[in-house]
Amino acid sequence: MTSYSKEVLRDLAAGQLPWSQTRRIMSAYKDDDRFFKMVAVYQDRVAWKDPILLPVSDHLFICQSGDERITRCECGHSFGDYRKNWKLKAAINVRNTEEALREIYPNSDLPDPEWMEIREFICPQCGTLHEVEAAAPGYPIVHDFEPDLEGFYREWLGKPLQET
Amino acid sequence: MLDKPASALRLRERLLDSERLMEETGCYDGITELTLRNQDPLKFETLHTKLRAYCVSAREMARRISASPGVREVGEMVVAIYTPEGDAIALSNGIMVHVHTMSRFIKWMIKNGYEDNPRIREGDIFANNDAFIGTVQVPDVMDVVPIFHEGTLVGWAGAVCHELEAGGITPGGDVCLAQERFTEGLFVCAEKIGENDEIRRDYVIRCERNLRMPIYWVLDEKAKVASCIDMRESVKQLISEIGLDYWMKVSKEFIEEGRRAQLARTRQLTVPGIYRGHTFYGHVTAGKPGFQLLGDPDWLYNIPIEMEITTDGKITMDFEGTQPWGYHSMNCTPAGMDGGMFVTLTQHMNFEGLVNDGAWMATELKLPHGTWTNPDNEMVATATSWALLLPAYGVFQRLLSRSFVARGFVEEAFVGQVNSPMIEMGGESQYGTPFGMAHFECAAAGSGALAIKDGLDTAYVGWNPESDMGNIEVWEQSMPMVYIGRSIVPNSGGAGKYRGGCSFVSTWLINKTSHLRLHTSEHSSRVFDNGGMCGGYPAPTCQKHRAVRNSNIHELAAKGEPLAHAPGIDPHVSDYERNIGGDHVVVEGPYITSPHKSGDIFSHSYNGGGGYGDVLERDPIKTAWDVENGFLTREAADQVFGIVLKDDEDGYPIADIDATVERRAAMRKERLAKAIPVADWIAKERGRVEKADFAPEVKKMYASAIKLSSRFTREFSEFWNVDARSIFMPGAKP
Repeated sequence: MTSYSKEVLRDLAAGQLPWSQTRRIMSAYKDDDRFFKMVAVYQDRVAWKDPILLPVSDHLFICQSGDERITRCECGHSFGDYRKNWKLKAAINVRNTEEALREIYPNSDLPDPEWMEIREFICPQCGTLHEVEAAAPGYPIVHDFEPDLEGFYREWLGKPLQET
Repeated sequence: MLDKPASALRLRERLLDSERLMEETGCYDGITELTLRNQDPLKFETLHTKLRAYCVSAREMARRISASPGVREVGEMVVAIYTPEGDAIALSNGIMVHVHTMSRFIKWMIKNGYEDNPRIREGDIFANNDAFIGTVQVPDVMDVVPIFHEGTLVGWAGAVCHELEAGGITPGGDVCLAQERFTEGLFVCAEKIGENDEIRRDYVIRCERNLRMPIYWVLDEKAKVASCIDMRESVKQLISEIGLDYWMKVSKEFIEEGRRAQLARTRQLTVPGIYRGHTFYGHVTAGKPGFQLLGDPDWLYNIPIEMEITTDGKITMDFEGTQPWGYHSMNCTPAGMDGGMFVTLTQHMNFEGLVNDGAWMATELKLPHGTWTNPDNEMVATATSWALLLPAYGVFQRLLSRSFVARGFVEEAFVGQVNSPMIEMGGESQYGTPFGMAHFECAAAGSGALAIKDGLDTAYVGWNPESDMGNIEVWEQSMPMVYIGRSIVPNSGGAGKYRGGCSFVSTWLINKTSHLRLHTSEHSSRVFDNGGMCGGYPAPTCQKHRAVRNSNIHELAAKGEPLAHAPGIDPHVSDYERNIGGDHVVVEGPYITSPHKSGDIFSHSYNGGGGYGDVLERDPIKTAWDVENGFLTREAADQVFGIVLKDDEDGYPIADIDATVERRAAMRKERLAKAIPVADWIAKERGRVEKADFAPEVKKMYASAIKLSSRFTREFSEFWNVDARSIFMPGAKP
């Protein structure tokens, strides 16, 4: 069975593994022990102690925090119950003028801000840009991901989560 | 022929029986046990490998028959082998989107009584390019031939080529001006075009008299038929070795194995749950010559997608809430939607094991009736369905990638495909003859970023995983334009920790013609039709077209003066305007205009991919390399990425790490200072929503989505705490 060390997976996640090695991982049969090893890699990366249950973005994790399961930024900021859209607890910067769009697209033609805006969802504590939406004005904020966390642990990982 | 007795094959009954068995058992054709695989797995795998080799070899052979640079140069072809009921067993590389569309074509003939009339006999050749029967768009012409073994139909061999010219209202294949099917070009609707392995002369004559460049279509037909015969003979030889009974069983077990493998891979690579995303497309045609006023000329399309992965491994994609079909060429049929799903799965999940229709069977598409994904009017045009398909399946790639990230397989996460605007042309060639063609250098856009590295530069399109822009010299042989530039477009990848792949721009001098019609399609310049992920930004919108009529380029060249070979990095004034005299033209959206002639200059930019991750985490050293090599501008490095560059002694950029750290800390603070809580923004924005204070096209988009989808209406109303119907459809009946 294919398997990689935690150090290799740490470098892979950080984009620091040499390309030749990365390429071999991409082409090889997948390693069935990946999930928990990768969770361990992320757990080492964060300063907080809540056990990570699921990574959901580059720096966002669902974790077990006491009796609650919450979405937490790598910096430790809590976005609340993981079943709710974390974006609603974020800070936002909307680019809906040519001037604001030009800051990101200095040398290109721009979309029409009457038709389209950019919404930046930011961690209010550390300022990490967690997600960018390009949407028509008035379009509801998207709830990107509602994981079936319990089904995943119970049926796919064979390690049911403790009831909360 | 009508008075002949019905065929003894009764394929229709067999097909319906196969569908019933799938319904009852959940397994393809009722195959609940992979008996042959279990008996001798090595033989099982070897046979499938042989079938795949037949396909790959037949395609490569056929490409040498084709006269089309689309097929010869960039590989716009795919071939496959099917069961008697029309399910794909094995396929070649190439435009795999069509493997399942051909399956629909075969099934359509079976369900429509082709066994009785026009009958299905050994040596017959059937062709189709009708998307409502089974293809994506009119230039995707498919041929299939039945495979008989001692009088029994034992399968089909099929091939598709994307034709460079389809005889529509505008030259090329992606007929941008088509607003109904009657202007899309030459239709071949599940037609028997040959018998006894020979294409009928009357069919060839029809092609020759209805196409601007029949040599491409006709020789592609010969190439496809040759590949089908090649595969057919190989399969017949194989059956003589393994026996008919074994073949009939194993060919179906291959598909069931493919279905199971897809489910297993989903369970291995993803996380169950509901994933959501959206993208948009701006169709801008107001004032452009040729467009009939059959509907609103400018139209903003929203494409929301909800993907559900259940714990049994099934993936369902739901397009509810998207826009209705329209009087334009961007509509898509369920066949095209299937094709998009298939080609995406083959790239993202089916990278091992058997690749065939089984993967498709492990998924489900929900395509709301009446929308562009499933028009309730079969007269609509689908010639540029890729315009909406590509953004849609880019979203699918990002949704899948979210699941890969969650499962820890970061190396598989990929921000995905982008639209690939296409140039098509016709008129008088450089040889003084009539001509028409699509320019397929678009088959090499920039890809979205990965979760661990930058995207691919000028090397990826979703519709052909074997992406290739082709050689300049080959394209120059086929059109009255010569290249005066082909270069990377700086900043054309979306910004992010990992940037999207960059695109390229070509600049041509129109040469040796007095009449060159140039048109473009799949051109969303007013909105982003791609996206970033996990903090990455979308790639720039489609860039505007820049052309120079009556240029003084020959005088400049004679004097040895500098020319312009690319638009440059000033979006307000191009290098063409700076360096070349003449009548300068800037066109937004599809390029539809009067013919060009020798001495004019035309440029066309392709699209880059979206970015991944927070821009402030991008590697400064890599960024310095990007600036040095023209992938990023210094301005972007500084302003977007917060990377301070200085010059080394030779004038090359190097990163100032300490200054970068300091600048990024300041930018992060500035970011936080500018941002407001989302709750505050929602409260403020609600007022705008209540007043419907939006551009007319935005209001129309909401009204259309609300009319078609109660779910969209409910979700919109709940999010803003408003009554969406009364805002956007005042006076409408509840």
